[in-house]
Amino acid sequence: MTTDRAKEKAKALLLPLAVLLAFEAWARATHLQSDSLAPPSEIIMALAGAFADFSILTATRDTLFSAFAGLAIGTVIGLALGIAFGISDTLNRLMEVTVEAVRPIPSIALLPIALIALGFGYRMEIVIVAFACVWPILILSRAAVRSIEPRLMEVSRALRLPAAQRVWKIIIPAALPRIFVAFRLSAGIALIVAVTVEIAINPLGLGAGIMLAQQALRPDLMLAYLVWIGAIGYALNILLVVAQHRLFGRAALSGDSA
Amino acid sequence: MANAAKRFEVIPGQPRPQIAFTDVTLQLGGKTIIENLSLGVRPGEFLCVVGASGCGKTTALRLAAGLYQPTSGRVDFDGQLMLHPRREIAIVFQDYGKALLPWRTAAGNVSLALEAGGMPAAERPARIEELLRTVGLPGHAGKYPAEMSGGMQQRLQIARCLAQEPKTLLMDEPFGALDAMTRQGLQDEVLALVAASGATVIFVTHDLDEAIYLGDRVIGLLPHPGRIGIELAVNLPRPRDQLSTREHPEFLRLRRQLFDFIKAAEQ
Amino acid sequence: MNRNATVWLWRAASFAVAASFIALWQLIANLKLVSPVFLPGPDRAWTSLVRGFSNGDLGNKLAGTLEHMAYGWLAASIAGIAIGAIIGSSRIMRTYVAPSLEFLRPLPVSAIIPVAIAMLGLTQAMALFVIAFGAIWPIMLATIHGFAAVEPRLYEVARSLQMSRLAVIFKVALPSASPDILAGMRLSLTVALILSVVCEILAGLDGLGHWVLLSARAFRSADLFAGVILLGLTGYVTSVAMSMAEHRLLAWQAAQR
Repeated sequence: MTTDRAKEKAKALLLPLAVLLAFEAWARATHLQSDSLAPPSEIIMALAGAFADFSILTATRDTLFSAFAGLAIGTVIGLALGIAFGISDTLNRLMEVTVEAVRPIPSIALLPIALIALGFGYRMEIVIVAFACVWPILILSRAAVRSIEPRLMEVSRALRLPAAQRVWKIIIPAALPRIFVAFRLSAGIALIVAVTVEIAINPLGLGAGIMLAQQALRPDLMLAYLVWIGAIGYALNILLVVAQHRLFGRAALSGDSA
Repeated sequence: MANAAKRFEVIPGQPRPQIAFTDVTLQLGGKTIIENLSLGVRPGEFLCVVGASGCGKTTALRLAAGLYQPTSGRVDFDGQLMLHPRREIAIVFQDYGKALLPWRTAAGNVSLALEAGGMPAAERPARIEELLRTVGLPGHAGKYPAEMSGGMQQRLQIARCLAQEPKTLLMDEPFGALDAMTRQGLQDEVLALVAASGATVIFVTHDLDEAIYLGDRVIGLLPHPGRIGIELAVNLPRPRDQLSTREHPEFLRLRRQLFDFIKAAEQ
Repeated sequence: MNRNATVWLWRAASFAVAASFIALWQLIANLKLVSPVFLPGPDRAWTSLVRGFSNGDLGNKLAGTLEHMAYGWLAASIAGIAIGAIIGSSRIMRTYVAPSLEFLRPLPVSAIIPVAIAMLGLTQAMALFVIAFGAIWPIMLATIHGFAAVEPRLYEVARSLQMSRLAVIFKVALPSASPDILAGMRLSLTVALILSVVCEILAGLDGLGHWVLLSARAFRSADLFAGVILLGLTGYVTSVAMSMAEHRLLAWQAAQR
């Protein structure tokens, strides 16, 4: 069984390895001179260089700081609204039009507003990331609260728990697995939005780093940043999937489809 | 019911079998599922196959359908080696819920077989209506499978198979998932349909009464690996009747014999 | 009848709440609680919206954004479904190719923008490439999943009917995968809108992204808000249109529940 798994993984690695090797060979054979491409060996060297002078580490710190700060704020707001809307049908119905009107605004469209209000820097990026993260959390936590076993709610009513305790002791624990799925999705969104804001306009972090490398006509460094951004996205995803497994077991993953 | 009476008199070995298994062995994943199975099914015969679970009865049916190829030996249809499924052989699956297209209505599901057979679009609606009436689903043409009961879905699957105008109908525990009343009704309808069309039938079931009630012949398979353990000719008058046939002394005798066989096979 | 009336009543109440939020916004603007440089009242945003449409400026920008979005999304849909179908219906491709694609999925797609700029410059072609590249992932991965998840029994039915390979794809696999594919296309619509705006901002292409950026630089906050409102409207209308299409195409799914 495990050898089968290993075999599957090896097969999966075959294609990317072949592509990389072919590209390296082609680049060397043609003595590639390009503003947009560089052979894998040079990309690795550039990546090592960027690590050596700490530039990529600083950029990573800036991007992750903005992404996580925005994610935290977005999660708190989204969760508060989602739970409130999930508990109170009246509130949910009254807010429906407002939510539907604000939600489809693409987060990136807020960029110019944030820019004139807050200027360049962490704050505007955090605000935009937070706005983007609110919606998936709100929608999914609202659905999670609504789908809580009605019997549980009856129990809490029978126990005459005060509202705050009902939220804290019954609703949040019951909805937690699905809320975590929402959090995982939002974490991915947070990273994407942070990098996008940096690429579009904000002069900090990995997005700005990759843009600078492009403008400096350093395709090796640019692609090194691309690889590194991909690796961070992948690592973040893996980390959260593993955390989800650990915390909630297999059952939680079924919430993915919702 | 002249057809049924004629079929009943067929003497084994006389006409060329429509489906013939010759020394068929099938291995899947290193396990022998069926070993040295030889079997002839005469044109127009109603053959029932019973056996404990794991005896390979569904596998045998899939070999007859051309969905599997034997590891050794051969399966022939009308004297020709069977290399792939054919439109003259229709198969009714047990899990009707999975075998119907959920995005097509009842009419659309029947139409699939007509489309595959190359019938012009203009001729299809009339034929579809006729087939749905035949299986007792008139007026349900516009319903999706999910809107129908289990019995209705199985009728629909039978209608699609009839649309193939099959020479052979393979049925894999078609009524296994239905309640007793629905099952009896469908048994009689299948007998009438088969009598009218003259098709050859191989009918797999785990219900011994059902096998005797429907079949001209019943074979019982032994498991691990699957092979023939018993073969019984059913000399019961046709048309069959849910009450009198089941009370017939011959029915009871066959039932006892088959029951003992299954019990012995399980030990 | 009664039920219907209640639904409409709630809807009206919900609109009233939204209207009161706009009134609140107006009040804040009128009292100048926030500098009017940043926050125009809804009245000023509306005036700007009307003026922008009557002199054609805003209409052109909207058309530009819709065009970028539509071309990129359509290209991504066609290519995504085709490639996804090929990979999803072949076990070999699923083993060797699909994992690489899954590996690339969490990559923030906007990171491809500098590479596209290096290859194609600050051009229309660059924007279309980026939008299509970003939008293809959800569609392609959903199609692969949809094709891989077709009920095997249906393939057996198709085999026993001796259906051609093409007929199997169009009559069995594609319809069976359509819920997944449409869900992927819906996700991609959002991605396409966001990337359109980003590319317009970066490359100065005609579109709402460029409009909002210029308005911000010139501190014309009313024009800026008019642009943002239009972008929100674009997101809303396209997503409603997609929902309606899904509702129509997947009517059979409603029966299953």
